[in-house]
Amino acid sequence: MKMYLNSSKMLLLTRIALKHAFPKTGLSSYFTKKSTFRIQNVYMYSSKASSSTENVYNNFTDWETLSRKKKVSKAMKAYLERAKEHDEFMKRQQFEFNIGKRHLANMMGEDPETFTQKDVDRAIEYLFPSGIYDPAARPLMKPPEEVFPARKAAEFDEAGRPHHFLFYTGKPNFFKLLYDAAENIQLLHKYEDKVIRKKETPDPNASLDLNASVWLTKDQLEQMLVEAINDLEYDNFKLVMDRLVSLPYSYRCKEFIEKYRKTLSTQRFALEIPKPSYDENGCAFVTTYECLRKKARGDVTIKCPGSGKITINGQDLTYFEDTQSREQVIFPLIFTGMENKVDVVANIEGGGPSGQSGAIRWGIAWGLRSFVDKSMLEAMQVAGLLTRDHRRRERKKPGQPGARKKPTWKKR
Amino acid sequence: MLSRNIRLLSRRYSQAVTFRTTESSPTQQNENQVGLFYTMNNDVCKQLFAHGGLPKSFMKQTKTFTETALMVRLPALDIIDCIKVTDLNKPVVRYVLYGEKGAGKSLTLAHLLHFAHEDGFLIVHIPWVSDWLRRLPRDKEMSNSQSREGFVDIPLDAAAWLLHFKMQNQVLLKTGDLKTSKEYVWSKRESTPAGAPLAELVEHGIARVKYACDVIDVLLKEIKLLSNAKKCKTFVAIDGFNSFFYPLTRLSTPTKKKVAPEEVSLTAPFMEITKNDWTNGAIVVTTDQLAVPEDRQENYLPKYLLYQKGFEHLDPFVPMEIGRYTEREFLSCASYYRDRLWLRGPPELESELKLASACNPYNFMELCAPL
Amino acid sequence: MNSIRYKLSGVTCSVLQAANFRPAYIQCRLYSGPTSFPDFFKNPIFRKEEQAKLIEINELSKLAISPVKPPGVSETSSVYYDPLVNKLINHVMKMGKKQLARELVEKAFENVKRIQIERYHLASSAEAKAKIILNPKDILHQAIENCRPLLQLLPIKRGGIVYQVPAPITEKRSLFLAIKWLLDATNDKERTIHFPQQFAWELLDAANNTGKVVKRKQDLHRQCEANRAYAHYRWQ
Repeated sequence: MKMYLNSSKMLLLTRIALKHAFPKTGLSSYFTKKSTFRIQNVYMYSSKASSSTENVYNNFTDWETLSRKKKVSKAMKAYLERAKEHDEFMKRQQFEFNIGKRHLANMMGEDPETFTQKDVDRAIEYLFPSGIYDPAARPLMKPPEEVFPARKAAEFDEAGRPHHFLFYTGKPNFFKLLYDAAENIQLLHKYEDKVIRKKETPDPNASLDLNASVWLTKDQLEQMLVEAINDLEYDNFKLVMDRLVSLPYSYRCKEFIEKYRKTLSTQRFALEIPKPSYDENGCAFVTTYECLRKKARGDVTIKCPGSGKITINGQDLTYFEDTQSREQVIFPLIFTGMENKVDVVANIEGGGPSGQSGAIRWGIAWGLRSFVDKSMLEAMQVAGLLTRDHRRRERKKPGQPGARKKPTWKKR
Repeated sequence: MLSRNIRLLSRRYSQAVTFRTTESSPTQQNENQVGLFYTMNNDVCKQLFAHGGLPKSFMKQTKTFTETALMVRLPALDIIDCIKVTDLNKPVVRYVLYGEKGAGKSLTLAHLLHFAHEDGFLIVHIPWVSDWLRRLPRDKEMSNSQSREGFVDIPLDAAAWLLHFKMQNQVLLKTGDLKTSKEYVWSKRESTPAGAPLAELVEHGIARVKYACDVIDVLLKEIKLLSNAKKCKTFVAIDGFNSFFYPLTRLSTPTKKKVAPEEVSLTAPFMEITKNDWTNGAIVVTTDQLAVPEDRQENYLPKYLLYQKGFEHLDPFVPMEIGRYTEREFLSCASYYRDRLWLRGPPELESELKLASACNPYNFMELCAPL
Repeated sequence: MNSIRYKLSGVTCSVLQAANFRPAYIQCRLYSGPTSFPDFFKNPIFRKEEQAKLIEINELSKLAISPVKPPGVSETSSVYYDPLVNKLINHVMKMGKKQLARELVEKAFENVKRIQIERYHLASSAEAKAKIILNPKDILHQAIENCRPLLQLLPIKRGGIVYQVPAPITEKRSLFLAIKWLLDATNDKERTIHFPQQFAWELLDAANNTGKVVKRKQDLHRQCEANRAYAHYRWQ
């Protein structure tokens, strides 16, 4: 290699001297004819090393640029240092993680070879029990790729020329995404024009069904693009994607769209419908515990062959004195049409009339699932009766009179 | 009255109406007519209830529906049967009506009053005791009683009650053989001789408001004697009786001392007449949660509302619970409201309203109001 | 839309579509900013009629897959619930006293009903009887319809002077103005008269196209007509 270097350097110097004597075009032809020496694997200053001879000749730079002191730019140098450090760091972390996993397996008395991540999690939970509420704050042991945020690979080459054409926007991946979306929109428009010229209509079966999925959240998008994003930019992204989806031929860009969609956990309400148990008289009944709304807590029992009696804390519906709360309690019964067919017994405490009646309403709807057929179940879901209302009172912030109210705005 | 009903019915609905009954005399009503409405004669209404007796919300309804219609309900029929069957030579039986707020106690009492009027009883009726004892002090005029030491008088209310008594018992006072037994001297120049008709006594009380409370006292004593002597049969009806036993009233003497009901001169005569030491009559009394202030309104049972004194005073009595509407009564009430154009809308409304009002009559009426 | 795109196929159609762009499955948000429920929760549909419509189009099962917000505290699917009445109660409410507001509005309806029944009984012929509306909610709808303004005056500043320029009005804003004017007129009442009584009178007047509120709307229309000359200032 070194031998080659010296010889190549010599060659270069001679070539450069000759270059000035003769015009360029002639020189190259002169040299291709008399190319006796093979130059293999010439270590050039550019990282784009290629073995074909023509490229090598084309990549020759002239005397001035070569003679200029080849300095790697400060940014490049710093970047290279950081990248090297990070790589080493990650390697070390990976090494430590593997060793730690083996130690842990030995501690737990299991086979280190077949110790999966799930086993690691269980072991940590067992060895370091924590009463902290937030799962992210508890002790954890995960592979370093998950723990440390991803970094971008080399964004520009040694000469400082960026690889990505949108590098100077500062968020190349994000804007490339928008660029792609816009391009897809253009393509779909052209396709639509073509179809219209042929006087055809879109195929109704081949349309995207996006009911069960949702756009990626801002955090997920940031993770995917390895870039920080504004709220404004995220809204813009959603807008562009929505426009893309709204076009009639959007199924043609299905893969592109699916990449940025997350499926929701579907039909939780229909999954675990409890089977009614039977009491001494043979009546079927279902109890729903943990009926919550605001600060009210309680449980609701529904008995199926009943007569429309409602008992709340031992009292009749007159437990609630105002009509609104009573209407809320009756709402699911009227909606499903089962007001004369079921009995309701509820125990509830905490909160006020609105919270208590809301909790009972949810409890009745949740319990009625066992006694109602599928179409009515879907109707209840669309009516929102089966959604747990997790809204709580927003706290008051310091420096403000209330949760959102601000002190009087003074212009100056 | 009957023909007007029939005309109205044929004009509006040709199908059979199942919520009305044409039997408008309480003495003739029986269990077949439970849950049906009967209309009361306007003149009778005015005579009996000119100064109270029917709840204010019901009076508004009568104006809107252009008629007074009461529902025949089981508790009222039971009491009417009991009264018909009682042996009038025995001491009077006391009936206590009790129930939740808005269950229909006052209207049941009104029904019984109608029956008593038809049957020829002499009616002693207090429309609402709390009016006397618990109305706001600035609307009241009180004075210290003259005949009794340390007692407080409510002259205007007493005079109003005498008018009411006069209206209710017009017929009997004119034709009946009711005379005082002894002479009463009111002042140097005024006196009522023995053997004077009761009507004169009443007139005197109305004319001379100062002596109205004493007149009432005397009047009730006379009525007791007359009933014992079988000259007339008396029907005593008091709405909100438990108000007499609540420890405080809203009245206060000019020295700003709070007055207890026992110190009001009007309580004494009515205490006397509700004792069961006389014959030839019937006493019906209601205990109502609304008669006492809100912090004492936990329970609607008589034992709680009457306190110990009232319970001992009334013991023994026949309790009668006024419950909520049954299915049949509810449907009949709903169709009556529809007929009177008070309730409009699709038929599903009824099941919803039944659940939402929990079959309480007053709640049902309130719920129908904006619909 | 398609024909336009055929002629101008070179131009990006996104520009032309920008004005009325709304994909079918994006829901109209009730609030402009984020609420307690994330964006992908859909608004609930609990009225029987609207659900019946969905069942016809067979859309119900599709909607059941996505999560749905729960209906509010004052919304039911019962027959006697009216969204307009709900809105009215909210406007009447002060300091969060919903129960009191509801009672006032219900008493007002009761008064309206009593007055109308009285008129019904006093009316002699069958045609007169048929003309009288007995349902207070119908009277409310009629009153609001009669009070809705069709244009509004916007203050626009040109050359240092603020002109009142007539401009179109959205449905929501006109509904808001109608309710606000009704309540303003009611609150101008005498001390001894209660709110439900005065409100009942105002409603009956408005349903009859007479009264203070309708006059206010007609004054506004007259002013708009008078200021027609400034209409072009909106685009200057």
